[in-house]
Amino acid sequence: MAVVKVYSTPTCPWCVRAKQYLASKNIPYTDINVAVDRNAAMEMVKKSGQQGVPVIEIDGNIIVGFDQARIDSLLGIA
Amino acid sequence: MLQLKMKKQEEKLSEKMYDLVIIGGGPAGLTAGIYAGRARLKTLIIEEMIAGGQSATTELLENYPGFKDGVGGVELAMIMEEQAKKFNTEVIYDRVVSASLLGETKEVHLASSTIKAKAVIIASGAVPRKLKADGAEKFHGKGISYCATCDGALFRDKRIVIVGAGNSAIEEGIFMQRFTKDITFVQDLPYLTAEKILQERIKSYPETKFYLGTVIKKVNGSDKVESVTANISKENKEIEIPADGVFVYIGYTPKADFVSKEINLDSQGYIITDENLKTNIDGVFAAGDVRVKEFRQVVTAASDGAIAAHSVEKYLENK
Repeated sequence: MAVVKVYSTPTCPWCVRAKQYLASKNIPYTDINVAVDRNAAMEMVKKSGQQGVPVIEIDGNIIVGFDQARIDSLLGIA
Repeated sequence: MLQLKMKKQEEKLSEKMYDLVIIGGGPAGLTAGIYAGRARLKTLIIEEMIAGGQSATTELLENYPGFKDGVGGVELAMIMEEQAKKFNTEVIYDRVVSASLLGETKEVHLASSTIKAKAVIIASGAVPRKLKADGAEKFHGKGISYCATCDGALFRDKRIVIVGAGNSAIEEGIFMQRFTKDITFVQDLPYLTAEKILQERIKSYPETKFYLGTVIKKVNGSDKVESVTANISKENKEIEIPADGVFVYIGYTPKADFVSKEINLDSQGYIITDENLKTNIDGVFAAGDVRVKEFRQVVTAASDGAIAAHSVEKYLENK
């Protein structure tokens, strides 16, 4: 089972989309709200080398933005 | 198992012939979907990213009629989507690569399938215009953002420059006050162009600064943004504004490149329509921000959607 984390802010529509997509594929994930968790925000910036959300981490692999093709390929979905 | 299921879905899509395919699921597309559904047209909306499109990036819409205390952009979009589905309009999330619109049967090409329809409404909207300055591309995501509601939280207590002074820029400046008070607006025109009520609100924040008649020339920094260099046009003076984040709200450009060869566009790339929202191609209509119009708002997009759907209904009756 892949370990999936989504770094997001509550007012970001692409974050909503990414989480909707994961839920539609029944993929469990941890939602990390970087708007309230400053340490998580710094961790996200360090891991992704940039300051945009969403950042999706799948088994340690970093995806910046809702990149459906990459998400599918890392999760082994067609 | 999952692979097989998805293939079957794709086949089903391309076997169907729709009365109407709507490209874009923002307020224009969704409203067209509501009206077309109620007209009992077999309708499909194709949305590439998120229902609501640009309106989904607005935290609170205060000028959309019917919601006197405002409504969230995402929330309104979800209501519209449910409303369209209630009348049997289908919604899928996928990207339109190109479209063959000249024939009697229109073909809309996705990455892995083609959808056929008797009529098409192009409601693909617009995307934020990119900043034209040295370093704009280099620092995209590394301090430059086009969506404060998305990325604003990453700039808590930091120094922010907002480029532009229309409704979007001022709204986002107001939104950002919860994260930082160090906000500087840089606007090329010598005045703010936002609604008066928004101008009043932003001016109530004493620490917010304004450079009007000023153009950003360069974004500076090593791995992320550290400052911007700007030219105050009237004084022909150059200044450097320290900044950790630059949020750009300088207008939009239309998303019509997937159909440009066949459709008449104006010089800026917006789709030309008559008052019934018909384009130069029979059976093809355009609605919302993507078309030539004076005033782009959620409510005018919704209005276009209704008119376009009505025009499609009349067009199909006469076939």
